[in-house]
Amino acid sequence: MGLAEELVALVGADRVLVEPVDLYLYGTDASIDRGPVKNVVFPESTEEVAEIVKIANRYQVPVVPRGAGTGLSGGAIPIGSSLVVSLTRMNGIEDVDPINMTARVGPGVINLDLSKHTKALGVHYAPDPSSQSICTIGGNIANNSGGPHCLAEGTTVEHILELEMVTADGQVIVLGGQAPDPVGLDLRGVVVGSEGTMGIVTSAIVKLTPNPLATRTVLATFNTVEDAASAVSAIIARGIVPAALELMDKLMTVAVERFVGAGFDTEATATLLAEVTGHDSAVDAELEIVREVCELHDAKAVRVAVDEAERARLWLGRKSAFGAVAQMAPDYYLHDTVVPRTKLAEVMAKVYEIADRYDITMMNVFHAGDGNLHPLMAFDSTEPGMLDRVHAAAKELVEVCVAAGGALSGEHGVGIEKRDLMPLVFNEYDLDAQARLREAFDPDGLFNPGKTLPEGSRCFDFGRPVPEGVWV
Amino acid sequence: MSSLQSTLSQYLADPSEVPGAAAEIICAPASLPDAAKVLEACSAAGASVVPWGSGSQQRVGGLVPADVILSTHRLNQIVDWQPDNMTVVVQGGVRAADLAERLAERHQTAVLAEIPGESTVGGLVATGASMYRRARYGPIRNRMLEATLATGDGRVVRGGGRVVKNVTGYDIPRLVAGSMGSLGLIGEVCLKLWPMGAAHATVRVDDPERAWATAYRPLAVLDINGSSFVYLGGTPAEVAGQSAQLGDVVSDQMLWPEPWIGSGDEVRLSMRVRPSDVADAVASLPSGWEYVAAYGVGEVSIGCPKVSLDELADLRRFAEARGGALVVLDGPTALYESFDPWGSPPSSLDLQRRIVARFDPDRIINRGRLPGGL
Ligand SMILES: Cc1cc2nc3c(=O)[nH]c(=O)nc-3n(C[C@H](O)[C@H](O)[C@H](O)COP(=O)(O)OP(=O)(O)OC[C@H]3O[C@@H](n4cnc5c(N)ncnc54)[C@H](O)[C@@H]3O)c2cc1C
Repeated sequence: MGLAEELVALVGADRVLVEPVDLYLYGTDASIDRGPVKNVVFPESTEEVAEIVKIANRYQVPVVPRGAGTGLSGGAIPIGSSLVVSLTRMNGIEDVDPINMTARVGPGVINLDLSKHTKALGVHYAPDPSSQSICTIGGNIANNSGGPHCLAEGTTVEHILELEMVTADGQVIVLGGQAPDPVGLDLRGVVVGSEGTMGIVTSAIVKLTPNPLATRTVLATFNTVEDAASAVSAIIARGIVPAALELMDKLMTVAVERFVGAGFDTEATATLLAEVTGHDSAVDAELEIVREVCELHDAKAVRVAVDEAERARLWLGRKSAFGAVAQMAPDYYLHDTVVPRTKLAEVMAKVYEIADRYDITMMNVFHAGDGNLHPLMAFDSTEPGMLDRVHAAAKELVEVCVAAGGALSGEHGVGIEKRDLMPLVFNEYDLDAQARLREAFDPDGLFNPGKTLPEGSRCFDFGRPVPEGVWV
Repeated sequence: MSSLQSTLSQYLADPSEVPGAAAEIICAPASLPDAAKVLEACSAAGASVVPWGSGSQQRVGGLVPADVILSTHRLNQIVDWQPDNMTVVVQGGVRAADLAERLAERHQTAVLAEIPGESTVGGLVATGASMYRRARYGPIRNRMLEATLATGDGRVVRGGGRVVKNVTGYDIPRLVAGSMGSLGLIGEVCLKLWPMGAAHATVRVDDPERAWATAYRPLAVLDINGSSFVYLGGTPAEVAGQSAQLGDVVSDQMLWPEPWIGSGDEVRLSMRVRPSDVADAVASLPSGWEYVAAYGVGEVSIGCPKVSLDELADLRRFAEARGGALVVLDGPTALYESFDPWGSPPSSLDLQRRIVARFDPDRIINRGRLPGGL
């Protein structure tokens, strides 16, 4: 028997893909790369996942866990002919516990489905990536995904209490728990965000968040992006933590208006979408601070959403931004970097300067409150020399952010995309420490090899550099 | 040990600088690279090392005989406070009280110990002490943005970054919280800060469970030996409005329970259960014991002058049956020999062992201080 036959024997022919046309679809995600797929298998239980991992071990075939394939850094793209394990069929929502405000979910549960499921209880799952109507909780866990409302509530990692995971040797382990501070090293937090390189998550107990008592959504427009960015820095500096602080530039609002008609002012150079939530008697005070700071930074207009319908329309607009761009340009490359909140205006000025210099259409819609930038380059890849320009501009963008004290990625992950940029922010000792961590989980590099860490990261032993030329 | 002593001569501290520390060699390096050199030398000599902040929590989870005490009192700089970015970088030996005082200048908080005493940032991170306000702000690991360690074999490694949202590489900072020093000496951390409320109140309530269910995002709901309080922080209007609905305001300050200093005289325990099990956990305690139960969190801190092994075993069974744990924080030395301070090890114990071996290969720092004798 070969790999495919063993998989078929385990789960049945209807849950194994073998045909090249089918496999082709699983060779990519929402980023711009592609890789070779040997087979795709769709387990329905933890036991099946464990058996699949043991089989893959026997054939020494790399294993790439996969959710919905909406990742933007190439995390789910195989490097070297791999077995793709799609977790989409493990999509049960169980044990919704209104007292402890938790639920047990399969990795294949669609993010938004969970909040819909718990709506009647007055609670929701807080991390809300813009892709939430299609991406999976498993993918969110692997990428430690964020979203507009993670400013106050924290990213995925703050919402995962317990993880069940299949390890590289096919064992099932449980990390964390519902009681606070499980004993021993807290491995939950390191598996969240590990991009499928440490194990396959087969189940999670997630924290649910009570719906806020009161919400105010504010739309402020500005004549320059720098003014809007300075307003964001100033709101943070005033010591309030709004639920969301999202910034869009003119090209983006125009695209969104054409696409969904959310009610943004397409004349404004920059639009700030801010939301404050909390106790009835606190939101208005915070709203006033947001309004005052925006006016101090020369806002053209500050408007408060009048009702839930308007609020929903504005958020639909925000979350449709990338879809809107896809309607406009044949190709786009969405970037994801972070800078300290004090550096927003300065860095945004440089972002536009880079776009001008490379003559690339650059649009921005981003989680300004976290300092999390998403410069988006819209282009036509058939134009000669265009891809080279895009890549060169992308590299400069990262360098500008790093020079400002920032990081490579705030939420989309390192994956393939930023793997080789890791030395911009970590030295060889730091990278070696990360490689050691991964090695402890997966000594033979079975899971998602070639992701996250650049080749040669594991280069020290017991503090002494290995002589050059002996990289392994 | 005498040759190790001479190797370490330039890092030695006078014992009077480190109250309570008892070891043949006491070092106090003034920089992280120096701390790494101390650890490298100790690894080479196979000497066991105990990192030392203020010494108040040295009995949490186990007693470790030290050849070398590595005091952090010279690693005491607030390196980089960015109030407008709401982040602060501090060295491990900074006293939490000093940090709190600085941050208060701009009404910010790192949400460390409410009554910090002498405790240090490094010690609080190492023990994963999330204290009472975690009900609102989450555990201390959520505030760990960056960490720089001196590993057991003498490497200086940094993980994370000085921004509030970051997925660049594996989250080593978060792993460091509660690691008991097993990955290395916690030399420097970047913490995420929160604004302090403009107003506060301590409100007495009759039913803590109900108070937790009805109060909107309180800082804490505590049952302290049978008297229950809700702690509120926020705008004056919010605090006033909520207080009136909840119960009787006893103070416009926060009246937190006094912390304890590990002494070996009394048994101190931490029972951890699901939040919904807190009331039952309190009911399971023998009468006369002192406790602080944190509603919405699931931690019950327990103090008892005398306790039998049977009583301890019962409590542990209660907690573990509910997916929790009973951890010994302090007690007479003999207790540690007859009662495992952590209880059942986690299912990931082998994995934890492999991780620790890659940061502290000779297992010299706080050996045995983690569950499963790790
Ligand atoms: C239009 C659009 C908008 C987006 N907006 C946001 C946003 O606002 N915020 C944000 O953070 N991201 C955003 N993303 C990125 C993406 O949606 C997230 O990274 C998402 O979490 C990926 O989930 P997925 O199910 O598609 O995972 P996939 O793309 O299938 O996989 C992502 C990674 O997770 C691993 N993985 C998947 N499942 C498991 C598992 N069970 N166990 C272990 N590893 C696993 C994979 O190996 C891979 O490394 C957006 C993407 C698009 C296309």
